[in-house]
Amino acid sequence: MTSPWAGILRAVAALDHWVRDPVDPRPLAWFRSWLGLLSLVNLWLLWPDMPMWLGNDGVLPAAVHRDLVGGTRISIFMITGYSDAAIGIIRGLGIAGGLGLWLGIFPRCAAFCAWLAVVSYSYRNMDILHSGDNLIRIGSFFLIFARTGGVFSLPQSVRRLFFSQTSSGRQPPDSFVPAWPQRILQVQLCILYLVAGIWKATGPTWRNGTAVGMVLQLGEFQRFPIPDFLLTPVISQVMTYGTLAFELGFPLLVWIPSLRIPVLLAGLAFHAGLDWVMNVQLFQWLITAYYLLWLKPASSSPASFAPRSGPACSARPAR
Amino acid sequence: MKTPLPATVTPPAALLQGILRRWPTILVVGYAVAAFSWTMPASLFPPKPVIDRMAVGPLLLLGLWQSWDMFSPDPRTIDICVELRCTNRDGTGDRRMLSDMVAMGYYERWQKDRWRKYFNDHLRLDDEHALWQPFAEYATRRLREEGHDPVAIELVRWWRPCDPAIRPDLRADVRQTPWQNHVFHRWGVPREWGR
Repeated sequence: MTSPWAGILRAVAALDHWVRDPVDPRPLAWFRSWLGLLSLVNLWLLWPDMPMWLGNDGVLPAAVHRDLVGGTRISIFMITGYSDAAIGIIRGLGIAGGLGLWLGIFPRCAAFCAWLAVVSYSYRNMDILHSGDNLIRIGSFFLIFARTGGVFSLPQSVRRLFFSQTSSGRQPPDSFVPAWPQRILQVQLCILYLVAGIWKATGPTWRNGTAVGMVLQLGEFQRFPIPDFLLTPVISQVMTYGTLAFELGFPLLVWIPSLRIPVLLAGLAFHAGLDWVMNVQLFQWLITAYYLLWLKPASSSPASFAPRSGPACSARPAR
Repeated sequence: MKTPLPATVTPPAALLQGILRRWPTILVVGYAVAAFSWTMPASLFPPKPVIDRMAVGPLLLLGLWQSWDMFSPDPRTIDICVELRCTNRDGTGDRRMLSDMVAMGYYERWQKDRWRKYFNDHLRLDDEHALWQPFAEYATRRLREEGHDPVAIELVRWWRPCDPAIRPDLRADVRQTPWQNHVFHRWGVPREWGR
């Protein structure tokens, strides 16, 4: 007979292994690349309005901003002060960071640039932020500590293409890597859904099944046309309770290996539908980057992405 | 892979080594608790004040603060938008809807999602009155660049209730419900201001 303490200790040990056992770097590299590309799109959408949102001649002059924001936050404005030069620096950091993440060029350095760009504009005008900014900020922060450079990387591909002969004998850069950045981002996605579901479950319109119908009737979120049958009380109830079930169910079901792919596919369909009917810029796209962290690469090791010579793996296989 | 302990290591030191070796696990658990507490409603998570007090420094400093409460606890029940009105010195006027998303084209409403955020979710509100005058001054500068000579700037909030019923003909782009409006900020632009 085992005591409850034994069970708890086993669970803690399993958690410890899950976090500390090295993993295949490819899911993190896919995440990095897709997040980088989307951060470039985000920058492109923000670009024309940056002087208005962030400039000293914009909607939030320095004196007003100083009164509104408390606490110490890292941002480029710590160096530039309230200077419009910061806008150019944020743009430069955003381009360097986005390209670097997308193409795997100095990816940890790129993650730092992307993170610094987003925290900087987030600090300067918090009233323009959407949930997608949270996802870029958090994702790029933990990518600073993630080793993904060896896979899904343009420099690696070029090196493999042109210098495969000379690379023999070198240690492959894409062995199994520390898991914790991937684990923390996986947990982040679960927290996102769980908390969103809990918040919604406290609202009367979410409980009586009218919430999604109301949202679809609001002008400010309206996007592409939708068929009339979606705007009926019955379908509203289906979509409202379906949203609650998905958001509360995802953080539990995604851990079950046999259900993982169906849950991720359901999530993709859910967010694709939301992106069609609702105008919320890039959130639905950015969240799909976090889905990539749950995928298991088809081959058993990242060798297929490594230079063709040398051992493919230098550590224990991922669980 | 277990690192063998040196023979001289005392039990407290071994415990400390064990904890130090497990820093990634402690970090993941600590972050999960902090992020969960930060984003939860206070009424449903009693330890929130205590945990948030410990987490606020690192989360703000590193840009890891977050919120996941869109459309929660309930979505809005009114259609809203914000308008800028300008009266020129020659008596002519100009009116611009800043966040009338339905009137925009598909690309424009996508690109200007942050406009909706700023004007509808913040500038419009009485609690955010600190934003009103800076925006009026910003608008004046832009209008002057366009060749206008504003003597008065007005910020107007527009709203109309959504019908609690759910029907295709109650969608915002086809609904006939009348709008109401209120001028929430008015500024007489001094002739020499900003020149």
